[in-house]
Amino acid sequence: MNELGLVVEDDMDLAIIFSEALQAAGFQVETARDGQTARNLLLTTEPKVVILDLHLPVVDGPSLFEQIRADPRLKETIVVVATADARLAEAYQDQADFVLVKPISFTQLRDLTQRLHRE
Amino acid sequence: MTLQQRLGRFITVSSADPDDARRRQLLNIFLALLGLIAVIAIVADVILWKAQEPEEALVILGGSLITLIGLGGLYWLNMRKSGALAASLFIVFLLLIFSISDTPQQIVDGRSLWVFVVPIILASGLLKSWSSFIVAAFSSGIILVLALGNNLFPNLVALFLYFAVAFISWIIASNLERALSEVRLINANLDKLVQERTQALVSALGRERAEASRSRAILESIADGVIVFDLRNKATHVNPALVRLLEIPEDRLSAITAEELARAPALDAKNRGILAGLLAASGQQISSYRIQWGKKTLSVSAAQVTDINGERIGTVAVFRDYTREAEIERMKNTFLAIVSHELRTPLNAILGYAEMLKEAIYGPVNEKQVRASDRILSNVRRLLDIVNDLLDQAQIEAGKMTIQMQPFRPAALLENVLEIMNKTATDKGLALTSELDPELPETLTGDPARLQQILINLTNNAIKFTDQGSVHIRLFRPNKKQWCIEVTDTGVGIPDDELPHIFEAFRQADSTLTRRHGGFGLGLTIVQQLANLMGGAVAVKSKIGVGSVFTVTLPLVVNPPSKRRTP
Repeated sequence: MNELGLVVEDDMDLAIIFSEALQAAGFQVETARDGQTARNLLLTTEPKVVILDLHLPVVDGPSLFEQIRADPRLKETIVVVATADARLAEAYQDQADFVLVKPISFTQLRDLTQRLHRE
Repeated sequence: MTLQQRLGRFITVSSADPDDARRRQLLNIFLALLGLIAVIAIVADVILWKAQEPEEALVILGGSLITLIGLGGLYWLNMRKSGALAASLFIVFLLLIFSISDTPQQIVDGRSLWVFVVPIILASGLLKSWSSFIVAAFSSGIILVLALGNNLFPNLVALFLYFAVAFISWIIASNLERALSEVRLINANLDKLVQERTQALVSALGRERAEASRSRAILESIADGVIVFDLRNKATHVNPALVRLLEIPEDRLSAITAEELARAPALDAKNRGILAGLLAASGQQISSYRIQWGKKTLSVSAAQVTDINGERIGTVAVFRDYTREAEIERMKNTFLAIVSHELRTPLNAILGYAEMLKEAIYGPVNEKQVRASDRILSNVRRLLDIVNDLLDQAQIEAGKMTIQMQPFRPAALLENVLEIMNKTATDKGLALTSELDPELPETLTGDPARLQQILINLTNNAIKFTDQGSVHIRLFRPNKKQWCIEVTDTGVGIPDDELPHIFEAFRQADSTLTRRHGGFGLGLTIVQQLANLMGGAVAVKSKIGVGSVFTVTLPLVVNPPSKRRTP
C-alpha cells in the first residue's frame, strides 16, 4: 500500500494541485480544507508527509503544527509548511522540516515529495 | 520771548537770498549803532545845553535829529524796500558826513584822511564784496576834488592804501561769502538727507504695518492651526483654524501655556510626550511629527521664532489635520497586502494547472499544447514578479523590510544569479558574462537574499532593455571600505533628461519602451531602496544606443558584528 500524504489547504484549487503533486510523487492523498477536518484526520491516520497551510478556518495552521509535534505517533511525520507570508516562513524555518513560500509550483512540490517518498 | 529774540526780530530781514538777508541785517546793526550815538548826542546836548554856545548846541541838536530821521528812513528802506539801495545811501551818507565834518586840510592830508577806510570796509560787507573798490574810488575822488579845490597836494600813498584796504576787504568778504554758501550747501544736503531718511522711515513703518496686517490675514484664513508662544511658553497668538482643529474654546486656548497644551485630555501618555518634546524643542530647525489628538491624526511642526538679531523670542507650532491622509495611507498598505495575497493565490492556481497540463497529469498533450502551457507559465511568472515587487515596495515604504546580516560568499551569490538569469539571457540571444574581483574577501557579511534581489532586478532590467550584445555582471572592490555590484549592458540606453527619474516608482524612460518591454519599472526603485537600507547607494551611467552601467556601492563588512566581540 502506498504511503499517506495529507494536504491541509483551504483554497480548493491549491488543494487539488498539491494533491496531484503528491499523487504524482507516489503518495496516497487525503485532503482537508479546514483545520478541524485535518485535526480529526490526524487522530486516525499516520501520514508520512503533511503539506500544511498556515492560514486556515476553524483551527489554524500553527496549532495543527503543535498537535503534530506533540503526538508521539506522528514523530516520523514530515511537515512541509506552505505559506504566502515571508515572515511566517522565516519563523518556521527551524521548526518545520521544509518551508515553501507560495506561489508553490506543481513540479517543485512533486519533485520534493518524490524524494521524501523514496526515503 | 526773550529780549534777545525781540532785538533779533527788530533787526532781522526776511529775504529769499540769504546773502541779501545777512547784509541787510548787518546794515540794521550799523544803523542802530549810529542811531544810538545820535540819541546819546541829543541827550548829552540837552543836558549840556547851558554849557555851550546856543548856536552850537542848536546845530548839534539839529544835526543829530536830522541824522536820526535819516537813519530811520534808511531803516524803513532797508526793511521794506531794497537793502542794496539803503546800504548804498548809507555809504553815500557816510562819505558826505566825512567830507564835510573836518577842514579840507585835515581831510586831504591829516587826521580825517583815514576815516574813509570805514565806508570802504563797510561797502564790502553791506553791498557786493567788490563794491569796496567803488567806494575807494569815490573816496579818492573826494580827496582829489578837495585837494584841487583848495590848492593842496593829495596824499597819493593814502589813496593807494585806500585801494589796498578795498582789496583786502574784497578778499575777506568774498571768502566769507563763499564759506557761507558752502555751509548753506552742506546744510541743504543735510536737510535733504534728513528728509529722505524720514520719508524712508515713514514708508518702512507703513510697509511693516501692511506686512503685519497681511500676516494676520493669512493666519486668520489658513486651514492649518497656528499657535505662537512667548519666552515664558504662554500663547500670544492663536488662529481660528486651531480652535476648530483642537476643539478647545478660544478663550481657553488663547491663554494656554505650552505645558498645558501638551497635557490636554485628548492626548494619551505617548502623544503627550511627543508634543511636549516638540514644543520645548531648541534649535531653529523645523521638526515635524504626527500625533493622535482624540480621533484625529495631526501633523505638528514647531520652530523657534527669532528676532532680526537671531535672539530667541518664542516658539511657533503649526498643526495640520492629517486624519484623512493617515487613513488613506493605512488603507493603501492594507489594500496592497490584501491584493498581493489575494492575487498570489489564484496566480498560484493558474501556475499549478498550467504545469499539470504540461506535465501530462491529465492525459497526453501535443507539442503545441506544451508550448501554450509554457506561454501561460511565463506570463504567470511575470505577473507574480510584479505582485512581489509591489509587495516589497509596500513593505519598504511601510518600514517593514528588514535587513538580516549574515556571512555569505560573493562567489556563491554570483553563481546563483547566473544560474537563475542564464536562461532568460540565452532565450533573447544575449551573452551573460561575469567577473569576480580577486581583491574581494572570500566571505562577506550582508543579507544574501536582498543582495540577490538587487542583482536579479538589475540583470533582469539589463536583459529587458538589450536586444543584442551582452550583459556583464561584475563584483569588485574599489577601495578598502566598499564593494560594488556592477551590471553593464549594451542596450538602448537612457536619455539624459530621464536619468534623474529612473529610480522613481512606476516610471520607465518612455511609454513606447514600456509597451515593448513590459514591466512596472519598480525593479530599480526596489534596488535603490534596498541599497539605501544596507547603507549603500546606486548610481547609473548611460549613453543612448551604447548601453548603461548600474553600480551599487555597499559598505564592506567582513566580520559580523557579534563575532568581533568573541575573544
